[in-house]
Amino acid sequence: MKAIIPGIAMVAALFAGCSTNNSSNNTAATSADTITTNNETAAMPVSEPASVDAVVNDYLTLKNALANDNGSNAADAGKQMMTSLQKLDAASLNADQKKVYDDVKDDMKEHAEHISTNASNIEHQREHFDMLSKDMYDLVKAVKPAKTLYQDHCPMYNDNKGANWLSETKEIKNPYLGKKMPDCGTVKEEIKQ
Amino acid sequence: MSKSKKIIIAVVIVFIAIQFIRPKRNIDTAEQQGDFIKKFNVPANVAGVLKTSCYDCHSNSTRYPWYANVQPMAWLLANHINNGKAELNFSEFAGYSKRRQLSKLKAVANSVHDGSMPLSSYILIHSDAKLDDSKKQLLTTWFSKTKDSLDAQQ
Repeated sequence: MKAIIPGIAMVAALFAGCSTNNSSNNTAATSADTITTNNETAAMPVSEPASVDAVVNDYLTLKNALANDNGSNAADAGKQMMTSLQKLDAASLNADQKKVYDDVKDDMKEHAEHISTNASNIEHQREHFDMLSKDMYDLVKAVKPAKTLYQDHCPMYNDNKGANWLSETKEIKNPYLGKKMPDCGTVKEEIKQ
Repeated sequence: MSKSKKIIIAVVIVFIAIQFIRPKRNIDTAEQQGDFIKKFNVPANVAGVLKTSCYDCHSNSTRYPWYANVQPMAWLLANHINNGKAELNFSEFAGYSKRRQLSKLKAVANSVHDGSMPLSSYILIHSDAKLDDSKKQLLTTWFSKTKDSLDAQQ
Protein backbone atom coordinates (compact mmCIF):
# COMPACT_ATOMS: atom_id res chain seq x y z
CA MET A 1 0.00 0.00 0.00
CA LYS A 2 2.77 2.39 0.94
CA ALA A 3 4.39 1.77 -2.45
CA ILE A 4 1.20 2.82 -4.24
CA ILE A 5 0.97 6.26 -2.65
CA PRO A 6 4.21 7.65 -4.16
CA GLY A 7 3.14 6.01 -7.44
CA ILE A 8 -0.15 7.89 -7.43
CA ALA A 9 1.59 11.11 -6.48
CA MET A 10 4.02 10.60 -9.36
CA VAL A 11 1.24 9.99 -11.88
CA ALA A 12 -0.65 12.98 -10.51
CA ALA A 13 2.48 15.07 -10.92
CA LEU A 14 2.84 13.89 -14.53
CA PHE A 15 -0.73 14.80 -15.34
CA ALA A 16 -0.35 18.16 -13.70
CA GLY A 17 2.71 18.63 -15.88
CA CYS A 18 0.74 17.84 -19.04
CA SER A 19 -2.05 20.28 -18.40
CA THR A 20 0.01 23.22 -17.18
CA ASN A 21 3.17 23.36 -19.21
CA ASN A 22 4.72 26.27 -17.39
CA SER A 23 4.57 24.92 -13.82
CA SER A 24 5.27 21.20 -14.36
CA ASN A 25 8.66 21.29 -12.67
CA ASN A 26 7.31 23.01 -9.61
CA THR A 27 4.45 20.57 -9.24
CA ALA A 28 6.73 17.57 -9.48
CA ALA A 29 9.12 19.07 -6.96
CA THR A 30 6.36 19.75 -4.45
CA SER A 31 5.01 16.22 -4.80
CA ALA A 32 8.45 14.74 -4.31
CA ASP A 33 8.83 16.71 -1.08
CA THR A 34 5.53 15.42 0.20
CA ILE A 35 6.56 11.85 -0.59
CA THR A 36 9.79 12.10 1.38
CA THR A 37 7.96 13.47 4.40
CA ASN A 38 5.36 10.69 4.21
CA ASN A 39 8.00 7.98 4.07
CA GLU A 40 9.82 9.42 7.04
CA THR A 41 6.73 9.46 9.25
CA ALA A 42 5.83 5.93 8.15
CA ALA A 43 9.27 4.60 9.05
CA MET A 44 9.10 5.99 12.60
CA PRO A 45 8.10 3.33 15.15
CA VAL A 46 4.70 4.35 16.49
CA SER A 47 4.77 2.44 19.76
CA GLU A 48 6.73 -0.01 21.89
CA PRO A 49 7.41 -3.44 20.37
CA ALA A 50 4.71 -5.94 21.28
CA SER A 51 5.40 -8.88 23.57
CA VAL A 52 4.09 -12.43 23.69
CA ASP A 53 1.60 -11.15 26.26
CA ALA A 54 0.12 -8.76 23.70
CA VAL A 55 -0.45 -11.75 21.42
CA VAL A 56 -2.01 -13.68 24.31
CA ASN A 57 -4.36 -10.76 24.98
CA ASP A 58 -5.43 -10.63 21.33
CA TYR A 59 -6.02 -14.37 21.45
CA LEU A 60 -8.23 -13.99 24.52
CA THR A 61 -10.21 -11.18 22.87
CA LEU A 62 -10.68 -13.43 19.86
CA LYS A 63 -11.73 -16.35 22.05
CA ASN A 64 -14.35 -14.23 23.83
CA ALA A 65 -15.69 -12.89 20.53
CA LEU A 66 -16.14 -16.46 19.26
CA ALA A 67 -17.81 -17.50 22.53
CA ASN A 68 -20.28 -14.64 21.94
CA ASP A 69 -20.86 -15.76 18.32
CA ASN A 70 -19.52 -12.39 17.14
CA GLY A 71 -17.65 -12.93 13.87
CA SER A 72 -16.83 -9.28 13.21
CA ASN A 73 -15.26 -8.75 16.65
CA ALA A 74 -13.34 -11.98 16.09
CA ALA A 75 -12.10 -10.62 12.76
CA ASP A 76 -10.94 -7.41 14.45
CA ALA A 77 -9.08 -9.42 17.09
CA GLY A 78 -7.49 -11.52 14.35
CA LYS A 79 -6.31 -8.37 12.63
CA GLN A 80 -4.94 -7.00 15.88
CA MET A 81 -3.12 -10.27 16.46
CA MET A 82 -1.45 -10.00 13.05
CA THR A 83 -0.16 -6.55 14.05
CA SER A 84 1.06 -7.78 17.43
CA LEU A 85 2.86 -10.71 15.81
CA GLN A 86 4.40 -8.36 13.28
CA LYS A 87 5.68 -6.07 16.04
CA LEU A 88 6.79 -8.81 18.41
CA ASP A 89 10.38 -8.35 19.42
CA ALA A 90 11.92 -11.81 19.66
CA ALA A 91 15.16 -10.41 21.11
CA SER A 92 13.80 -10.77 24.64
CA LEU A 93 13.29 -14.53 24.22
CA ASN A 94 15.88 -17.10 25.22
CA ALA A 95 17.10 -19.75 22.76
CA ASP A 96 14.50 -22.40 23.64
CA GLN A 97 11.67 -19.90 23.58
CA LYS A 98 12.86 -18.52 20.28
CA LYS A 99 12.85 -22.01 18.77
CA VAL A 100 9.20 -22.51 19.67
CA TYR A 101 8.33 -19.00 18.55
CA ASP A 102 10.00 -19.49 15.16
CA ASP A 103 8.11 -22.73 14.77
CA VAL A 104 4.68 -21.22 15.48
CA LYS A 105 4.86 -17.64 14.23
CA ASP A 106 4.13 -18.12 10.51
CA ASP A 107 1.36 -20.56 11.22
CA MET A 108 -0.16 -18.16 13.76
CA LYS A 109 0.00 -15.26 11.31
CA GLU A 110 -1.74 -17.34 8.70
CA HIS A 111 -4.55 -18.37 11.03
CA ALA A 112 -4.95 -14.80 12.31
CA GLU A 113 -5.17 -13.58 8.73
CA HIS A 114 -7.87 -16.08 7.79
CA ILE A 115 -9.84 -15.18 10.90
CA SER A 116 -9.53 -11.47 10.09
CA THR A 117 -10.91 -11.91 6.56
CA ASN A 118 -13.85 -14.18 7.41
CA ALA A 119 -16.05 -11.97 9.60
CA SER A 120 -19.18 -13.40 7.98
CA ASN A 121 -18.12 -17.03 8.25
CA ILE A 122 -17.71 -17.79 11.94
CA GLU A 123 -17.49 -21.55 11.41
CA HIS A 124 -14.45 -21.00 9.22
CA GLN A 125 -12.98 -18.69 11.87
CA ARG A 126 -13.47 -21.46 14.42
CA GLU A 127 -11.62 -24.00 12.24
CA HIS A 128 -8.62 -21.68 12.22
CA PHE A 129 -9.04 -20.87 15.91
CA ASP A 130 -8.75 -24.60 16.64
CA MET A 131 -5.33 -24.74 14.95
CA LEU A 132 -4.32 -21.36 16.35
CA SER A 133 -5.07 -22.61 19.88
CA LYS A 134 -2.57 -25.42 19.44
CA ASP A 135 0.12 -22.90 18.42
CA MET A 136 -0.81 -20.59 21.27
CA TYR A 137 -0.59 -23.43 23.79
CA ASP A 138 2.88 -24.43 22.61
CA LEU A 139 3.97 -20.80 22.79
CA VAL A 140 2.73 -20.13 26.34
CA LYS A 141 4.22 -23.41 27.52
CA ALA A 142 7.59 -22.06 26.39
CA VAL A 143 7.12 -18.37 27.24
CA LYS A 144 5.30 -18.13 30.55
CA PRO A 145 2.25 -15.87 30.32
CA ALA A 146 1.88 -12.76 32.54
CA LYS A 147 -1.32 -14.17 34.05
CA THR A 148 -2.46 -17.70 34.76
CA LEU A 149 -4.17 -19.39 31.80
CA TYR A 150 -6.34 -22.48 31.63
CA GLN A 151 -6.34 -25.00 28.84
CA ASP A 152 -9.91 -26.13 28.29
CA HIS A 153 -11.23 -29.05 26.27
CA CYS A 154 -14.46 -29.33 24.32
CA PRO A 155 -15.22 -32.98 23.50
CA MET A 156 -17.99 -32.25 21.00
CA TYR A 157 -16.43 -29.95 18.40
CA ASN A 158 -15.07 -31.45 15.14
CA ASP A 159 -17.68 -34.23 14.97
CA ASN A 160 -16.83 -35.31 18.50
CA LYS A 161 -13.10 -35.39 17.82
CA GLY A 162 -12.74 -32.58 20.32
CA ALA A 163 -10.73 -29.38 20.44
CA ASN A 164 -8.83 -27.33 23.01
CA TRP A 165 -8.60 -23.65 23.76
CA LEU A 166 -6.97 -21.31 26.26
CA SER A 167 -8.88 -19.12 28.68
CA GLU A 168 -8.10 -16.51 31.33
CA THR A 169 -10.93 -17.78 33.57
CA LYS A 170 -11.65 -21.08 35.26
CA GLU A 171 -15.26 -20.76 34.23
CA ILE A 172 -15.99 -22.45 30.87
CA LYS A 173 -17.10 -20.22 27.98
CA ASN A 174 -16.99 -22.39 24.89
CA PRO A 175 -15.67 -20.54 21.79
CA TYR A 176 -16.39 -23.45 19.41
CA LEU A 177 -20.08 -23.98 20.10
CA GLY A 178 -20.78 -20.40 21.24
CA LYS A 179 -24.12 -19.56 22.78
CA LYS A 180 -25.57 -22.90 21.68
CA MET A 181 -23.62 -24.70 24.42
CA PRO A 182 -21.62 -22.08 26.34
CA ASP A 183 -20.64 -24.29 29.28
CA CYS A 184 -19.62 -27.41 27.36
CA GLY A 185 -16.07 -28.37 28.25
CA THR A 186 -13.63 -29.04 31.06
CA VAL A 187 -10.41 -27.52 32.36
CA LYS A 188 -7.50 -29.77 31.36
CA GLU A 189 -4.51 -27.84 32.63
CA GLU A 190 -3.56 -24.73 34.52
CA ILE A 191 -0.65 -22.83 32.94
CA LYS A 192 0.96 -20.77 35.68
CA GLN A 193 2.85 -17.59 35.03
CA MET B 1 -12.27 12.58 -36.24
CA SER B 2 -15.08 12.32 -33.70
CA LYS B 3 -14.35 11.91 -29.99
CA SER B 4 -15.78 8.39 -29.79
CA LYS B 5 -13.68 7.23 -32.72
CA LYS B 6 -10.57 8.53 -30.97
CA ILE B 7 -11.47 6.64 -27.84
CA ILE B 8 -12.02 3.41 -29.76
CA ILE B 9 -8.67 3.75 -31.52
CA ALA B 10 -6.95 4.46 -28.20
CA VAL B 11 -8.52 1.37 -26.62
CA VAL B 12 -7.46 -0.81 -29.56
CA ILE B 13 -3.90 0.52 -29.38
CA VAL B 14 -3.71 -0.12 -25.64
CA PHE B 15 -5.16 -3.61 -26.13
CA ILE B 16 -2.55 -4.46 -28.74
CA ALA B 17 0.24 -2.95 -26.68
CA ILE B 18 -0.58 -4.95 -23.57
CA GLN B 19 -0.45 -8.22 -25.54
CA PHE B 20 3.33 -7.89 -25.42
CA ILE B 21 3.45 -7.80 -21.64
CA ARG B 22 3.30 -11.48 -20.81
CA PRO B 23 3.70 -12.79 -17.28
CA LYS B 24 6.05 -15.72 -16.75
CA ARG B 25 4.22 -19.03 -16.94
CA ASN B 26 3.90 -21.28 -13.95
CA ILE B 27 5.38 -24.38 -15.56
CA ASP B 28 8.34 -26.05 -13.88
CA THR B 29 9.33 -29.12 -15.85
CA ALA B 30 11.99 -30.28 -13.39
CA GLU B 31 10.99 -33.11 -11.09
CA GLN B 32 9.46 -31.62 -7.94
CA GLN B 33 11.50 -33.08 -5.07
CA GLY B 34 9.19 -31.76 -2.39
CA ASP B 35 6.01 -32.87 -4.12
CA PHE B 36 3.12 -33.86 -1.92
CA ILE B 37 2.09 -36.91 -3.94
CA LYS B 38 5.59 -38.38 -3.68
CA LYS B 39 6.21 -37.46 -0.04
CA PHE B 40 2.94 -38.91 1.28
CA ASN B 41 2.71 -41.92 -1.08
CA VAL B 42 -0.65 -40.65 -2.21
CA PRO B 43 -2.78 -43.44 -3.75
CA ALA B 44 -3.40 -43.07 -7.49
CA ASN B 45 -7.11 -42.25 -7.22
CA VAL B 46 -6.49 -39.38 -4.77
CA ALA B 47 -3.48 -38.16 -6.75
CA GLY B 48 -5.56 -38.10 -9.93
CA VAL B 49 -8.19 -35.86 -8.34
CA LEU B 50 -5.52 -33.56 -6.87
CA LYS B 51 -3.87 -33.12 -10.25
CA THR B 52 -7.10 -32.36 -12.08
CA SER B 53 -8.81 -30.24 -9.45
CA CYS B 54 -6.10 -28.60 -7.33
CA TYR B 55 -2.70 -28.54 -9.00
CA ASP B 56 -3.50 -25.78 -11.51
CA CYS B 57 -3.35 -23.16 -8.75
CA HIS B 58 -1.60 -25.04 -5.95
CA SER B 59 1.54 -26.42 -7.59
CA ASN B 60 4.46 -25.37 -9.76
CA SER B 61 2.80 -26.50 -12.97
CA THR B 62 -0.43 -25.19 -14.40
CA ARG B 63 -2.43 -26.50 -17.38
CA TYR B 64 -3.20 -23.23 -19.11
CA PRO B 65 -6.47 -22.58 -20.93
CA TRP B 66 -6.43 -20.96 -24.42
CA TYR B 67 -7.35 -17.50 -23.12
CA ALA B 68 -4.18 -17.43 -21.08
CA ASN B 69 -2.63 -16.12 -24.31
CA VAL B 70 -4.81 -13.01 -24.19
CA GLN B 71 -4.07 -10.05 -21.93
CA PRO B 72 -5.25 -9.01 -19.43
CA MET B 73 -6.57 -12.53 -18.74
CA ALA B 74 -3.08 -13.93 -18.31
CA TRP B 75 -2.34 -11.28 -15.66
CA LEU B 76 -5.44 -12.23 -13.72
CA LEU B 77 -4.49 -15.90 -13.95
CA ALA B 78 -0.91 -15.22 -12.85
CA ASN B 79 -2.20 -13.27 -9.87
CA HIS B 80 -4.65 -16.05 -9.00
CA ILE B 81 -1.98 -18.72 -9.22
CA ASN B 82 0.47 -16.71 -7.10
CA ASN B 83 -2.14 -16.32 -4.37
CA GLY B 84 -3.03 -19.99 -4.57
CA LYS B 85 0.60 -21.06 -4.28
CA ALA B 86 1.26 -18.71 -1.38
CA GLU B 87 -1.62 -20.31 0.48
CA LEU B 88 -0.67 -23.90 -0.38
CA ASN B 89 1.88 -25.27 -2.83
CA PHE B 90 1.72 -29.04 -3.20
CA SER B 91 5.00 -29.02 -5.16
CA GLU B 92 6.85 -27.74 -2.10
CA PHE B 93 4.80 -29.42 0.59
CA ALA B 94 7.65 -31.57 1.92
CA GLY B 95 9.56 -28.40 2.80
CA TYR B 96 6.82 -27.11 5.12
CA SER B 97 7.27 -27.45 8.87
CA LYS B 98 5.30 -30.27 10.45
CA ARG B 99 2.99 -27.73 12.04
CA ARG B 100 2.22 -26.17 8.68
CA GLN B 101 1.75 -29.57 7.05
CA LEU B 102 -0.80 -30.53 9.70
CA SER B 103 -2.63 -27.27 9.35
CA LYS B 104 -2.70 -27.59 5.55
CA LEU B 105 -3.90 -31.21 5.60
CA LYS B 106 -6.74 -30.13 7.82
CA ALA B 107 -7.50 -27.07 5.71
CA VAL B 108 -7.72 -29.18 2.54
CA ALA B 109 -10.19 -31.58 4.17
CA ASN B 110 -12.26 -28.66 5.49
CA SER B 111 -12.36 -26.60 2.32
CA VAL B 112 -13.23 -29.59 0.14
CA HIS B 113 -15.89 -30.65 2.63
CA ASP B 114 -17.56 -27.23 2.80
CA GLY B 115 -17.20 -26.70 -0.96
CA SER B 116 -15.13 -23.51 -0.78
CA MET B 117 -12.49 -25.25 -2.90
CA PRO B 118 -12.09 -25.59 -5.85
CA LEU B 119 -13.29 -22.01 -6.44
CA SER B 120 -16.61 -21.80 -8.26
CA SER B 121 -15.11 -19.39 -10.84
CA TYR B 122 -12.51 -22.03 -11.64
CA ILE B 123 -15.02 -24.88 -11.98
CA LEU B 124 -17.08 -22.73 -14.34
CA ILE B 125 -14.34 -23.03 -16.94
CA HIS B 126 -12.73 -26.32 -15.91
CA SER B 127 -15.74 -28.59 -15.65
CA ASP B 128 -13.50 -31.64 -15.20
CA ALA B 129 -12.21 -30.13 -11.94
CA LYS B 130 -15.63 -30.21 -10.31
CA LEU B 131 -15.76 -32.55 -7.32
CA ASP B 132 -18.81 -34.79 -7.15
CA ASP B 133 -19.86 -36.25 -3.80
CA SER B 134 -17.77 -39.40 -4.15
CA LYS B 135 -14.61 -37.41 -4.96
CA LYS B 136 -15.31 -35.04 -2.06
CA GLN B 137 -15.72 -37.99 0.25
CA LEU B 138 -12.52 -39.58 -1.07
CA LEU B 139 -10.47 -36.40 -0.45
CA THR B 140 -11.91 -35.49 2.95
CA THR B 141 -11.50 -39.01 4.31
CA TRP B 142 -7.99 -39.44 2.99
CA PHE B 143 -6.79 -36.01 4.13
CA SER B 144 -8.29 -36.36 7.63
CA LYS B 145 -6.76 -39.80 8.00
CA THR B 146 -3.35 -38.59 6.80
CA LYS B 147 -3.53 -35.62 9.17
CA ASP B 148 -4.30 -37.87 12.13
CA SER B 149 -1.46 -40.25 11.35
CA LEU B 150 1.03 -37.40 10.91
CA ASP B 151 -0.22 -35.90 14.18
CA ALA B 152 0.43 -39.20 15.97
CA GLN B 153 4.10 -39.24 14.85
CA GLN B 154 6.25 -37.38 17.27
